Amino acid sequence: MKKELVFLLGIIIFSLSVGCGKDEDPQPEPGPGWTYDPTPFDLVYPDNFPIMILDDDNLLTEEGVSLGRMLYYDKLLHPEGEMACADCHQQTLSFSSGDAVLPHINLGWNRTFLWNGKITGNLEDIMKFEVEEFFETDVSKFNEHDIYPELFYNAFGVENITTSEISKAISQFVRTLNSFDNRFDRIFRTDGGEVFSDSELSGYDIFFTEKGDCFHCHGGVLFTDNLFHNNGLDVNPSENGLSEITGNPLDLGKFKTPTLRNIALTAPYMHDGRYETLEEVIDFYSEGLEVSSTIDPLMKQANRGGIHLTEQEKADLLAFLKMLTDNTFVTNPEFASPF
Amino acid sequence: MKKQRILTPSFFLILLFFIFSCSEDDGYGTFTLQLNHTVEGEPVEIEQLKYSSHAGHTYSVVNLKYYLSNIVLHDKEGGSFSYNNVHLRDIHDPSTEEIVMEDVPDGTFTSLSFTFGLDETINVDGGLENTIENINMEWPIPGDQGYHYMKFEGRYDSLNTGVIRSFNVHTGATMGNQNYINVTIPFPEIALESNSWMIDLNMDLHEWLHNPNVFDFVNNERIMMKQSAQELLKANGATVFSIKSVNEN
Repeated sequence: MKKELVFLLGIIIFSLSVGCGKDEDPQPEPGPGWTYDPTPFDLVYPDNFPIMILDDDNLLTEEGVSLGRMLYYDKLLHPEGEMACADCHQQTLSFSSGDAVLPHINLGWNRTFLWNGKITGNLEDIMKFEVEEFFETDVSKFNEHDIYPELFYNAFGVENITTSEISKAISQFVRTLNSFDNRFDRIFRTDGGEVFSDSELSGYDIFFTEKGDCFHCHGGVLFTDNLFHNNGLDVNPSENGLSEITGNPLDLGKFKTPTLRNIALTAPYMHDGRYETLEEVIDFYSEGLEVSSTIDPLMKQANRGGIHLTEQEKADLLAFLKMLTDNTFVTNPEFASPF
Repeated sequence: MKKQRILTPSFFLILLFFIFSCSEDDGYGTFTLQLNHTVEGEPVEIEQLKYSSHAGHTYSVVNLKYYLSNIVLHDKEGGSFSYNNVHLRDIHDPSTEEIVMEDVPDGTFTSLSFTFGLDETINVDGGLENTIENINMEWPIPGDQGYHYMKFEGRYDSLNTGVIRSFNVHTGATMGNQNYINVTIPFPEIALESNSWMIDLNMDLHEWLHNPNVFDFVNNERIMMKQSAQELLKANGATVFSIKSVNEN
Protein backbone atom coordinates (compact mmCIF):
# COMPACT_ATOMS: atom_id res chain seq x y z
CA MET A 1 0.00 0.00 0.00
CA LYS A 2 2.76 2.41 0.98
CA LYS A 3 4.63 1.63 -2.24
CA GLU A 4 1.48 2.33 -4.24
CA LEU A 5 1.10 5.76 -2.70
CA VAL A 6 4.76 6.59 -3.32
CA PHE A 7 4.35 5.50 -6.92
CA LEU A 8 1.26 7.71 -7.33
CA LEU A 9 3.02 10.66 -5.76
CA GLY A 10 5.93 10.15 -8.11
CA ILE A 11 3.66 10.27 -11.14
CA ILE A 12 2.06 13.50 -9.92
CA ILE A 13 5.39 15.20 -9.21
CA PHE A 14 6.77 14.08 -12.58
CA SER A 15 3.69 15.46 -14.36
CA LEU A 16 3.94 18.78 -12.60
CA SER A 17 7.66 19.10 -13.24
CA VAL A 18 7.19 18.40 -16.95
CA GLY A 19 4.21 20.78 -17.20
CA CYS A 20 5.92 23.66 -15.48
CA GLY A 21 9.49 23.22 -16.60
CA LYS A 22 11.47 26.11 -18.07
CA ASP A 23 12.45 26.05 -21.69
CA GLU A 24 15.74 24.22 -21.81
CA ASP A 25 16.63 25.63 -25.19
CA PRO A 26 15.96 29.41 -25.27
CA GLN A 27 15.95 31.26 -28.52
CA PRO A 28 19.08 33.31 -29.13
CA GLU A 29 18.66 37.05 -28.56
CA PRO A 30 17.98 38.90 -31.85
CA GLY A 31 20.72 41.48 -31.34
CA PRO A 32 24.05 41.72 -29.54
CA GLY A 33 23.45 42.68 -25.92
CA TRP A 34 19.65 42.54 -26.26
CA THR A 35 18.02 40.98 -23.22
CA TYR A 36 14.37 40.32 -22.47
CA ASP A 37 14.44 39.93 -18.71
CA PRO A 38 12.49 42.96 -17.47
CA THR A 39 12.68 44.12 -13.85
CA PRO A 40 9.36 44.81 -12.10
CA PHE A 41 8.85 48.52 -11.41
CA ASP A 42 8.20 49.42 -7.78
CA LEU A 43 5.24 51.78 -8.04
CA VAL A 44 4.69 53.66 -4.78
CA TYR A 45 1.64 55.67 -3.76
CA PRO A 46 -0.06 56.35 -0.40
CA ASP A 47 -2.23 53.74 1.33
CA ASN A 48 -5.27 56.01 1.30
CA PHE A 49 -5.29 56.06 -2.50
CA PRO A 50 -7.44 53.48 -4.25
CA ILE A 51 -5.70 50.47 -5.73
CA MET A 52 -4.47 51.58 -9.12
CA ILE A 53 -6.14 50.11 -12.19
CA LEU A 54 -3.52 47.97 -13.90
CA ASP A 55 -3.55 45.98 -17.11
CA ASP A 56 -2.47 42.39 -16.41
CA ASP A 57 -0.91 42.30 -19.87
CA ASN A 58 1.14 45.39 -19.19
CA LEU A 59 2.48 45.33 -15.66
CA LEU A 60 5.05 48.03 -15.02
CA THR A 61 8.72 47.24 -15.54
CA GLU A 62 11.81 49.41 -15.25
CA GLU A 63 12.43 48.89 -18.95
CA GLY A 64 8.84 49.68 -19.93
CA VAL A 65 8.59 52.86 -17.85
CA SER A 66 11.96 54.09 -19.09
CA LEU A 67 10.97 53.43 -22.71
CA GLY A 68 7.61 55.10 -22.18
CA ARG A 69 9.32 58.19 -20.84
CA MET A 70 11.46 58.41 -23.98
CA LEU A 71 8.43 58.01 -26.22
CA TYR A 72 6.51 60.64 -24.27
CA TYR A 73 9.17 63.20 -25.10
CA ASP A 74 10.03 62.00 -28.62
CA LYS A 75 8.57 63.76 -31.68
CA LEU A 76 9.14 60.54 -33.62
CA LEU A 77 5.61 59.66 -32.55
CA HIS A 78 4.37 62.25 -35.05
CA PRO A 79 4.62 61.24 -38.75
CA GLU A 80 6.27 64.57 -39.63
CA GLY A 81 8.17 64.80 -36.36
CA GLU A 82 6.33 67.95 -35.34
CA MET A 83 5.17 67.15 -31.82
CA ALA A 84 5.46 64.83 -28.85
CA CYS A 85 3.06 64.05 -26.01
CA ALA A 86 5.05 66.43 -23.84
CA ASP A 87 4.29 69.39 -26.09
CA CYS A 88 0.68 69.37 -24.94
CA HIS A 89 1.46 67.90 -21.53
CA GLN A 90 4.26 69.88 -19.91
CA GLN A 91 5.59 68.87 -16.52
CA THR A 92 5.80 72.42 -15.16
CA LEU A 93 2.06 72.77 -15.88
CA SER A 94 1.23 69.44 -14.22
CA PHE A 95 1.33 67.85 -17.66
CA SER A 96 -1.19 70.24 -19.14
CA SER A 97 -0.38 72.91 -21.70
CA GLY A 98 -2.07 76.25 -21.31
CA ASP A 99 -5.08 75.20 -23.30
CA ALA A 100 -7.99 73.04 -22.26
CA VAL A 101 -6.34 69.60 -22.37
CA LEU A 102 -6.91 67.41 -19.35
CA PRO A 103 -3.64 67.04 -17.44
CA HIS A 104 -1.78 63.73 -17.30
CA ILE A 105 -1.86 63.34 -13.56
CA ASN A 106 -3.07 60.36 -11.52
CA LEU A 107 -4.54 58.86 -14.70
CA GLY A 108 -3.94 55.33 -13.42
CA TRP A 109 -7.20 55.61 -11.49
CA ASN A 110 -9.29 56.56 -14.54
CA ARG A 111 -11.63 54.33 -16.49
CA THR A 112 -12.92 57.02 -18.84
CA PHE A 113 -10.86 59.51 -20.77
CA LEU A 114 -11.17 62.85 -22.56
CA TRP A 115 -13.68 65.57 -21.68
CA ASN A 116 -16.55 63.80 -23.43
CA GLY A 117 -15.65 60.25 -22.37
CA LYS A 118 -14.80 59.18 -25.89
CA ILE A 119 -12.53 56.41 -24.63
CA THR A 120 -13.51 53.92 -21.94
CA GLY A 121 -11.13 51.30 -20.59
CA ASN A 122 -7.58 51.27 -19.29
CA LEU A 123 -4.77 53.71 -19.91
CA GLU A 124 -3.64 51.39 -22.68
CA ASP A 125 -6.89 52.09 -24.54
CA ILE A 126 -6.56 55.88 -24.44
CA MET A 127 -2.87 55.71 -25.36
CA LYS A 128 -3.63 53.43 -28.28
CA PHE A 129 -6.20 55.97 -29.42
CA GLU A 130 -3.60 58.75 -29.12
CA VAL A 131 -0.95 56.78 -31.01
CA GLU A 132 -3.18 55.46 -33.76
CA GLU A 133 -5.77 58.19 -34.24
CA PHE A 134 -4.34 61.40 -32.81
CA PHE A 135 -0.70 61.05 -33.85
CA GLU A 136 -1.25 58.44 -36.59
CA THR A 137 2.19 57.17 -35.71
CA ASP A 138 4.28 55.52 -38.41
CA VAL A 139 5.62 52.42 -36.65
CA SER A 140 8.21 51.79 -39.37
CA LYS A 141 10.15 54.76 -38.00
CA PHE A 142 10.53 52.87 -34.74
CA ASN A 143 11.32 49.52 -36.36
CA GLU A 144 14.05 51.14 -38.48
CA HIS A 145 15.43 53.25 -35.62
CA ASP A 146 18.98 52.84 -34.27
CA ILE A 147 18.05 52.21 -30.64
CA TYR A 148 14.29 51.68 -30.26
CA PRO A 149 14.18 48.05 -31.51
CA GLU A 150 16.53 46.98 -28.72
CA LEU A 151 14.60 48.97 -26.09
CA PHE A 152 11.28 47.50 -27.18
CA TYR A 153 12.80 44.02 -27.18
CA ASN A 154 14.19 44.53 -23.68
CA ALA A 155 10.83 45.82 -22.43
CA PHE A 156 8.36 43.58 -24.23
CA GLY A 157 10.34 40.77 -25.92
CA VAL A 158 9.14 41.72 -29.39
CA GLU A 159 11.17 42.09 -32.54
CA ASN A 160 8.45 43.84 -34.51
CA ILE A 161 7.26 47.06 -32.88
CA THR A 162 3.56 47.82 -33.25
CA THR A 163 1.28 50.56 -31.94
CA SER A 164 0.33 48.15 -29.16
CA GLU A 165 3.82 48.16 -27.61
CA ILE A 166 4.14 51.92 -28.11
CA SER A 167 0.85 52.44 -26.29
CA LYS A 168 1.82 50.04 -23.53
CA ALA A 169 5.14 51.77 -22.90
CA ILE A 170 3.59 55.24 -22.74
CA SER A 171 0.89 53.88 -20.42
CA GLN A 172 3.52 52.50 -18.10
CA PHE A 173 5.23 55.89 -17.86
CA VAL A 174 1.95 57.76 -17.37
CA ARG A 175 1.04 55.40 -14.53
CA THR A 176 4.05 56.78 -12.66
CA LEU A 177 2.87 60.42 -13.00
CA ASN A 178 1.20 60.49 -9.61
CA SER A 179 0.77 63.50 -7.35
CA PHE A 180 0.33 63.02 -3.61
CA ASP A 181 2.66 65.52 -1.98
CA ASN A 182 0.95 68.90 -1.77
CA ARG A 183 0.41 70.93 1.42
CA PHE A 184 -2.99 69.37 1.99
CA ASP A 185 -1.49 65.87 1.70
CA ARG A 186 1.30 66.72 4.09
CA ILE A 187 -1.03 68.18 6.72
CA PHE A 188 -3.19 65.06 6.70
CA ARG A 189 -0.17 62.80 6.68
CA THR A 190 0.70 64.41 10.05
CA ASP A 191 4.38 63.79 9.51
CA GLY A 192 5.40 67.10 8.05
CA GLY A 193 4.53 69.47 10.86
CA GLU A 194 2.59 71.72 8.47
CA VAL A 195 -0.72 73.30 9.48
CA PHE A 196 -3.54 75.20 7.76
CA SER A 197 -3.46 78.98 7.68
CA ASP A 198 -6.71 80.53 8.90
CA SER A 199 -7.73 81.33 5.33
CA GLU A 200 -6.90 77.84 4.06
CA LEU A 201 -8.89 76.26 6.88
CA SER A 202 -11.89 78.41 6.08
CA GLY A 203 -11.54 77.43 2.44
CA TYR A 204 -11.29 73.78 3.44
CA ASP A 205 -14.59 74.10 5.32
CA ILE A 206 -16.27 75.72 2.30
CA PHE A 207 -14.90 73.04 0.00
CA PHE A 208 -15.84 70.02 2.13
CA THR A 209 -19.29 71.12 3.35
CA GLU A 210 -22.46 71.84 1.43
CA LYS A 211 -21.70 75.54 1.70
CA GLY A 212 -19.41 75.32 -1.30
CA ASP A 213 -20.32 71.71 -2.09
CA CYS A 214 -17.20 71.26 -4.17
CA PHE A 215 -16.48 67.81 -2.71
CA HIS A 216 -19.34 65.89 -4.26
CA CYS A 217 -17.58 66.05 -7.64
CA HIS A 218 -14.05 66.99 -6.62
CA GLY A 219 -13.73 65.05 -3.36
CA GLY A 220 -11.70 62.09 -2.22
CA VAL A 221 -7.95 61.78 -2.41
CA LEU A 222 -8.06 62.09 -6.19
CA PHE A 223 -10.03 65.37 -6.02
CA THR A 224 -12.27 64.07 -8.79
CA ASP A 225 -15.05 61.51 -8.92
CA ASN A 226 -13.96 60.61 -12.47
CA LEU A 227 -17.61 60.94 -13.53
CA PHE A 228 -19.46 63.26 -15.91
CA HIS A 229 -21.58 66.24 -14.90
CA ASN A 230 -23.33 69.24 -16.35
CA ASN A 231 -22.05 71.86 -13.93
CA GLY A 232 -24.26 74.70 -15.16
CA LEU A 233 -22.04 76.44 -17.69
CA ASP A 234 -24.66 77.00 -20.41
CA VAL A 235 -28.38 76.95 -20.99
CA ASN A 236 -27.72 75.63 -24.47
CA PRO A 237 -24.30 73.97 -24.59
CA SER A 238 -22.39 74.51 -27.82
CA GLU A 239 -20.63 71.19 -27.27
CA ASN A 240 -22.69 68.11 -26.52
CA GLY A 241 -20.18 66.51 -24.17
CA LEU A 242 -20.95 62.98 -23.06
CA SER A 243 -24.14 62.81 -25.14
CA GLU A 244 -21.97 63.03 -28.25
CA ILE A 245 -20.60 59.62 -27.29
CA THR A 246 -23.64 57.96 -25.67
CA GLY A 247 -26.29 59.45 -27.93
CA ASN A 248 -28.39 59.99 -24.82
CA PRO A 249 -29.97 63.47 -24.69
CA LEU A 250 -29.90 63.23 -20.88
CA ASP A 251 -26.09 63.43 -21.13
CA LEU A 252 -26.14 66.78 -22.93
CA GLY A 253 -23.58 69.20 -21.56
CA LYS A 254 -21.95 66.64 -19.27
CA PHE A 255 -18.17 66.69 -19.16
CA LYS A 256 -15.51 64.77 -17.25
CA THR A 257 -14.74 66.08 -13.77
CA PRO A 258 -11.10 67.18 -13.83
CA THR A 259 -8.91 66.60 -10.81
CA LEU A 260 -8.23 69.70 -8.72
CA ARG A 261 -4.75 68.48 -7.83
CA ASN A 262 -2.38 71.12 -9.22
CA ILE A 263 -5.38 73.11 -10.38
CA ALA A 264 -3.49 76.39 -9.97
CA LEU A 265 -1.10 75.16 -12.71
CA THR A 266 -3.62 73.98 -15.27
CA ALA A 267 -5.33 77.13 -16.56
CA PRO A 268 -7.42 77.78 -18.54
CA TYR A 269 -10.44 76.10 -16.99
CA MET A 270 -13.52 74.14 -18.10
CA HIS A 271 -13.67 71.87 -21.14
CA ASP A 272 -13.48 74.83 -23.51
CA GLY A 273 -10.96 76.85 -21.51
CA ARG A 274 -13.38 79.75 -21.09
CA TYR A 275 -11.94 80.89 -17.77
CA GLU A 276 -8.37 82.11 -17.56
CA THR A 277 -8.08 82.26 -13.77
CA LEU A 278 -9.27 80.40 -10.69
CA GLU A 279 -10.84 83.65 -9.51
CA GLU A 280 -13.11 83.55 -12.58
CA VAL A 281 -13.98 79.94 -11.85
CA ILE A 282 -14.93 80.72 -8.26
CA ASP A 283 -17.03 83.67 -9.46
CA PHE A 284 -18.81 81.31 -11.84
CA TYR A 285 -19.72 78.84 -9.09
CA SER A 286 -20.66 81.71 -6.80
CA GLU A 287 -22.90 83.75 -9.10
CA GLY A 288 -22.72 82.48 -12.70
CA LEU A 289 -24.56 79.14 -12.85
CA GLU A 290 -27.04 78.59 -15.67
CA VAL A 291 -29.96 76.19 -15.27
CA SER A 292 -30.60 73.69 -18.03
CA SER A 293 -32.57 70.47 -18.34
CA THR A 294 -29.52 68.31 -17.72
CA ILE A 295 -27.81 70.35 -15.02
CA ASP A 296 -26.55 68.03 -12.31
CA PRO A 297 -28.84 67.77 -9.27
CA LEU A 298 -25.75 68.41 -7.16
CA MET A 299 -25.85 72.02 -8.38
CA LYS A 300 -28.69 72.66 -5.99
CA GLN A 301 -28.20 76.41 -5.74
CA ALA A 302 -28.22 76.96 -9.48
CA ASN A 303 -31.65 78.57 -9.38
CA ARG A 304 -30.11 81.34 -7.32
CA GLY A 305 -27.14 81.59 -9.66
CA GLY A 306 -24.71 79.80 -7.39
CA ILE A 307 -23.37 79.43 -3.88
CA HIS A 308 -23.01 83.19 -3.25
CA LEU A 309 -19.71 83.44 -1.42
CA THR A 310 -18.48 86.69 0.12
CA GLU A 311 -15.24 88.17 -1.18
CA GLN A 312 -13.46 86.82 1.89
CA GLU A 313 -14.93 83.35 1.35
CA LYS A 314 -13.80 83.44 -2.27
CA ALA A 315 -10.30 84.33 -1.14
CA ASP A 316 -10.38 81.50 1.39
CA LEU A 317 -11.53 78.96 -1.16
CA LEU A 318 -8.77 80.13 -3.50
CA ALA A 319 -6.22 79.73 -0.71
CA PHE A 320 -7.40 76.17 -0.20
CA LEU A 321 -7.20 75.36 -3.92
CA LYS A 322 -3.63 76.65 -4.04
CA MET A 323 -2.73 74.16 -1.31
CA LEU A 324 -3.25 71.45 -3.91
CA THR A 325 -0.15 72.45 -5.87
CA ASP A 326 2.46 69.69 -5.69
CA ASN A 327 5.90 71.16 -6.37
CA THR A 328 7.56 67.79 -5.84
CA PHE A 329 5.53 66.43 -8.75
CA VAL A 330 6.26 69.24 -11.20
CA THR A 331 10.00 69.18 -10.46
CA ASN A 332 10.51 65.42 -10.17
CA PRO A 333 13.52 64.67 -12.44
CA GLU A 334 12.19 61.16 -13.09
CA PHE A 335 9.28 62.70 -15.00
CA ALA A 336 11.42 65.10 -17.04
CA SER A 337 12.68 64.67 -20.58
CA PRO A 338 15.37 61.99 -20.85
CA PHE A 339 16.90 63.72 -23.87
CA MET B 1 -2.67 -5.62 -15.79
CA LYS B 2 0.10 -4.73 -13.38
CA LYS B 3 -0.73 -1.05 -13.55
CA GLN B 4 -4.38 -1.70 -12.88
CA ARG B 5 -3.59 -3.79 -9.78
CA ILE B 6 -1.50 -0.99 -8.33
CA LEU B 7 -3.98 1.84 -8.94
CA THR B 8 -7.28 0.19 -8.12
CA PRO B 9 -7.01 0.06 -4.30
CA SER B 10 -5.89 3.72 -4.15
CA PHE B 11 -8.71 4.97 -6.30
CA PHE B 12 -11.16 2.91 -4.29
CA LEU B 13 -10.05 4.71 -1.11
CA ILE B 14 -10.33 8.13 -2.75
CA LEU B 15 -13.79 7.26 -4.04
CA LEU B 16 -14.91 6.24 -0.54
CA PHE B 17 -13.56 9.54 0.85
CA PHE B 18 -15.63 11.60 -1.59
CA ILE B 19 -18.77 9.51 -1.05
CA PHE B 20 -18.68 9.99 2.72
CA SER B 21 -17.71 13.66 2.66
CA CYS B 22 -20.63 14.70 0.46
CA SER B 23 -23.63 13.34 2.30
CA GLU B 24 -26.95 15.05 1.68
CA ASP B 25 -27.15 16.29 5.29
CA ASP B 26 -24.57 18.98 4.47
CA GLY B 27 -26.35 20.56 1.51
CA TYR B 28 -25.92 24.19 0.54
CA GLY B 29 -27.99 26.52 -1.56
CA THR B 30 -28.00 30.05 -2.88
CA PHE B 31 -30.05 33.12 -2.05
CA THR B 32 -30.02 36.07 -4.42
CA LEU B 33 -31.34 39.44 -3.34
CA GLN B 34 -32.50 41.47 -6.29
CA LEU B 35 -32.50 45.15 -5.39
CA ASN B 36 -35.35 46.93 -7.17
CA HIS B 37 -36.82 50.41 -6.82
CA THR B 38 -40.30 51.81 -7.10
CA VAL B 39 -42.21 55.05 -6.55
CA GLU B 40 -45.64 54.37 -5.11
CA GLY B 41 -45.38 50.78 -6.25
CA GLU B 42 -44.41 51.44 -9.85
CA PRO B 43 -40.90 50.79 -11.17
CA VAL B 44 -38.77 53.94 -11.11
CA GLU B 45 -38.47 55.81 -14.38
CA ILE B 46 -35.31 57.90 -14.33
CA GLU B 47 -35.55 61.63 -15.15
CA GLN B 48 -39.36 61.62 -15.42
CA LEU B 49 -40.79 64.66 -13.64
CA LYS B 50 -44.06 62.96 -12.81
CA TYR B 51 -44.10 61.88 -9.17
CA SER B 52 -46.01 63.82 -6.52
CA SER B 53 -44.67 64.39 -3.04
CA HIS B 54 -46.90 64.98 -0.05
CA ALA B 55 -45.22 68.37 0.37
CA GLY B 56 -46.84 69.39 -2.90
CA HIS B 57 -43.99 69.02 -5.34
CA THR B 58 -43.76 67.17 -8.61
CA TYR B 59 -40.43 65.38 -8.60
CA SER B 60 -38.15 63.11 -10.60
CA VAL B 61 -35.45 60.60 -9.73
CA VAL B 62 -32.04 61.20 -11.33
CA ASN B 63 -29.50 59.28 -9.24
CA LEU B 64 -29.65 56.71 -6.46
CA LYS B 65 -26.78 55.02 -4.64
CA TYR B 66 -26.90 53.37 -1.23
CA TYR B 67 -25.19 50.85 1.02
CA LEU B 68 -26.66 47.70 2.54
CA SER B 69 -24.60 45.90 5.17
CA ASN B 70 -24.92 43.30 7.95
CA ILE B 71 -27.14 41.20 5.69
CA VAL B 72 -28.45 38.13 7.55
CA LEU B 73 -30.88 35.33 6.65
CA HIS B 74 -32.72 33.87 9.65
CA ASP B 75 -34.11 30.34 9.89
CA LYS B 76 -37.06 29.18 11.98
CA GLU B 77 -34.86 27.32 14.46
CA GLY B 78 -33.21 30.57 15.49
CA GLY B 79 -30.11 30.04 13.40
CA SER B 80 -28.81 32.47 10.81
CA PHE B 81 -26.54 32.92 7.82
CA SER B 82 -24.51 36.13 7.58
CA TYR B 83 -23.37 37.67 4.31
CA ASN B 84 -20.21 39.47 5.27
CA ASN B 85 -19.85 41.92 2.38
CA VAL B 86 -21.05 45.52 2.23
CA HIS B 87 -23.05 46.15 -0.92
CA LEU B 88 -23.18 49.45 -2.82
CA ARG B 89 -26.20 49.67 -5.10
CA ASP B 90 -26.14 52.17 -7.96
CA ILE B 91 -29.38 52.43 -9.91
CA HIS B 92 -27.34 53.25 -13.04
CA ASP B 93 -25.09 50.20 -12.70
CA PRO B 94 -26.82 46.89 -13.51
CA SER B 95 -23.87 44.96 -12.08
CA THR B 96 -24.94 46.10 -8.61
CA GLU B 97 -28.51 44.83 -8.96
CA GLU B 98 -28.00 41.48 -7.26
CA ILE B 99 -26.47 40.30 -4.02
CA VAL B 100 -25.65 36.63 -4.42
CA MET B 101 -25.27 34.66 -1.19
CA GLU B 102 -23.78 31.29 -1.98
CA ASP B 103 -23.04 28.30 0.24
CA VAL B 104 -26.01 28.92 2.51
CA PRO B 105 -26.57 25.75 4.58
CA ASP B 106 -29.90 24.07 3.90
CA GLY B 107 -32.69 25.00 6.28
CA THR B 108 -36.07 26.67 6.54
CA PHE B 109 -35.64 30.43 6.33
CA THR B 110 -38.23 32.93 7.47
CA SER B 111 -36.76 36.44 7.46
CA LEU B 112 -34.09 38.80 6.20
CA SER B 113 -32.37 41.52 8.20
CA PHE B 114 -29.85 44.16 7.17
CA THR B 115 -28.50 47.57 7.97
CA PHE B 116 -29.46 50.39 5.64
CA GLY B 117 -26.19 52.31 5.59
CA LEU B 118 -23.21 51.36 7.71
CA ASP B 119 -22.96 50.83 11.44
CA GLU B 120 -20.34 52.52 13.61
CA THR B 121 -17.89 49.64 13.24
CA ILE B 122 -17.64 50.27 9.48
CA ASN B 123 -18.60 53.90 9.13
CA VAL B 124 -15.19 55.40 9.85
CA ASP B 125 -12.70 56.96 7.46
CA GLY B 126 -11.11 54.10 5.57
CA GLY B 127 -13.67 51.65 6.95
CA LEU B 128 -14.44 50.30 3.49
CA GLU B 129 -12.11 49.01 0.82
CA ASN B 130 -10.39 51.88 -1.00
CA THR B 131 -12.23 51.50 -4.27
CA ILE B 132 -13.01 54.49 -6.46
CA GLU B 133 -16.73 53.83 -5.89
CA ASN B 134 -16.38 53.86 -2.10
CA ILE B 135 -14.19 56.96 -2.16
CA ASN B 136 -16.92 58.71 -4.17
CA MET B 137 -19.32 57.90 -1.31
CA GLU B 138 -17.11 59.45 1.39
CA TRP B 139 -18.71 61.83 3.88
CA PRO B 140 -15.90 64.35 4.25
CA ILE B 141 -17.70 66.93 6.38
CA PRO B 142 -15.09 68.32 8.81
CA GLY B 143 -15.68 66.73 12.20
CA ASP B 144 -17.64 63.78 10.79
CA GLN B 145 -16.40 60.45 9.46
CA GLY B 146 -17.28 57.65 7.11
CA TYR B 147 -19.48 57.50 4.04
CA HIS B 148 -22.81 58.61 2.62
CA TYR B 149 -25.37 55.90 3.36
CA MET B 150 -27.48 57.08 0.45
CA LYS B 151 -27.38 59.61 -2.37
CA PHE B 152 -30.94 60.02 -3.66
CA GLU B 153 -30.96 62.93 -6.10
CA GLY B 154 -33.49 64.40 -8.44
CA ARG B 155 -35.40 67.46 -9.57
CA TYR B 156 -38.64 69.00 -8.39
CA ASP B 157 -41.11 71.59 -9.49
CA SER B 158 -41.54 73.72 -6.41
CA LEU B 159 -45.31 73.88 -5.78
CA ASN B 160 -45.78 73.47 -9.53
CA THR B 161 -44.63 76.96 -10.39
CA GLY B 162 -42.67 75.73 -13.38
CA VAL B 163 -39.33 76.47 -11.71
CA ILE B 164 -37.33 73.26 -11.67
CA ARG B 165 -34.88 72.87 -8.83
CA SER B 166 -32.88 69.92 -7.58
CA PHE B 167 -32.82 67.97 -4.35
CA ASN B 168 -30.14 65.87 -2.67
CA VAL B 169 -31.44 63.42 -0.10
CA HIS B 170 -28.04 62.46 1.26
CA THR B 171 -28.13 60.40 4.43
CA GLY B 172 -25.28 59.53 6.74
CA ALA B 173 -23.81 60.03 10.20
CA THR B 174 -23.38 63.58 11.39
CA MET B 175 -22.55 65.35 14.63
CA GLY B 176 -22.12 62.10 16.52
CA ASN B 177 -25.41 60.60 15.34
CA GLN B 178 -25.07 57.37 13.38
CA ASN B 179 -28.47 57.44 11.63
CA TYR B 180 -28.23 53.99 10.07
CA ILE B 181 -31.39 51.89 10.02
CA ASN B 182 -31.70 48.24 11.05
CA VAL B 183 -34.37 46.54 8.99
CA THR B 184 -35.97 43.09 9.47
CA ILE B 185 -38.44 41.76 6.93
CA PRO B 186 -40.22 38.40 7.37
CA PHE B 187 -41.09 36.34 4.32
CA PRO B 188 -43.04 33.11 3.67
CA GLU B 189 -41.05 30.05 4.77
CA ILE B 190 -38.41 29.04 2.28
CA ALA B 191 -37.15 25.47 2.46
CA LEU B 192 -33.62 25.68 1.13
CA GLU B 193 -32.71 22.22 -0.15
CA SER B 194 -29.48 22.70 -2.06
CA ASN B 195 -31.37 24.89 -4.51
CA SER B 196 -31.48 28.60 -5.42
CA TRP B 197 -33.97 31.25 -4.39
CA MET B 198 -34.50 34.82 -5.54
CA ILE B 199 -35.80 37.47 -3.17
CA ASP B 200 -37.11 40.70 -4.72
CA LEU B 201 -36.09 43.32 -2.14
CA ASN B 202 -37.71 46.58 -3.06
CA MET B 203 -37.02 50.17 -2.01
CA ASP B 204 -39.98 52.47 -2.57
CA LEU B 205 -38.45 55.94 -2.88
CA HIS B 206 -41.73 57.68 -2.20
CA GLU B 207 -41.70 56.30 1.36
CA TRP B 208 -38.62 58.39 2.15
CA LEU B 209 -40.66 61.53 1.55
CA HIS B 210 -43.85 61.08 3.55
CA ASN B 211 -44.24 58.15 5.91
CA PRO B 212 -44.65 59.14 8.69
CA ASN B 213 -42.84 62.47 8.20
CA VAL B 214 -43.43 64.77 5.25
CA PHE B 215 -40.03 65.62 3.80
CA ASP B 216 -40.15 68.97 2.04
CA PHE B 217 -37.34 69.55 -0.46
CA VAL B 218 -37.66 73.29 0.01
CA ASN B 219 -36.71 73.22 3.67
CA ASN B 220 -34.12 70.50 3.25
CA GLU B 221 -31.81 71.62 0.52
CA ARG B 222 -28.58 70.93 2.40
CA ILE B 223 -29.02 68.20 5.00
CA MET B 224 -25.60 66.64 5.49
CA MET B 225 -25.09 68.66 8.68
CA LYS B 226 -28.78 68.88 9.57
CA GLN B 227 -29.51 66.15 12.11
CA SER B 228 -33.22 67.03 12.30
CA ALA B 229 -33.59 66.10 8.62
CA GLN B 230 -31.50 62.95 9.09
CA GLU B 231 -33.77 61.86 11.96
CA LEU B 232 -36.86 62.52 9.91
CA LEU B 233 -35.49 60.35 7.11
CA LYS B 234 -34.40 57.67 9.55
CA ALA B 235 -37.99 57.39 10.77
CA ASN B 236 -39.33 57.27 7.21
CA GLY B 237 -36.79 54.59 6.35
CA ALA B 238 -38.65 52.02 8.45
CA THR B 239 -41.18 51.42 5.68
CA VAL B 240 -39.00 51.99 2.64
CA PHE B 241 -38.04 48.35 2.11
CA SER B 242 -40.32 45.43 1.40
CA ILE B 243 -40.03 41.98 -0.07
CA LYS B 244 -42.17 41.79 -3.17
CA SER B 245 -41.68 38.15 -3.94
CA VAL B 246 -39.65 35.04 -3.24
CA ASN B 247 -39.18 32.56 -6.04
CA GLU B 248 -37.20 29.43 -6.60
CA ASN B 249 -34.77 29.95 -9.47
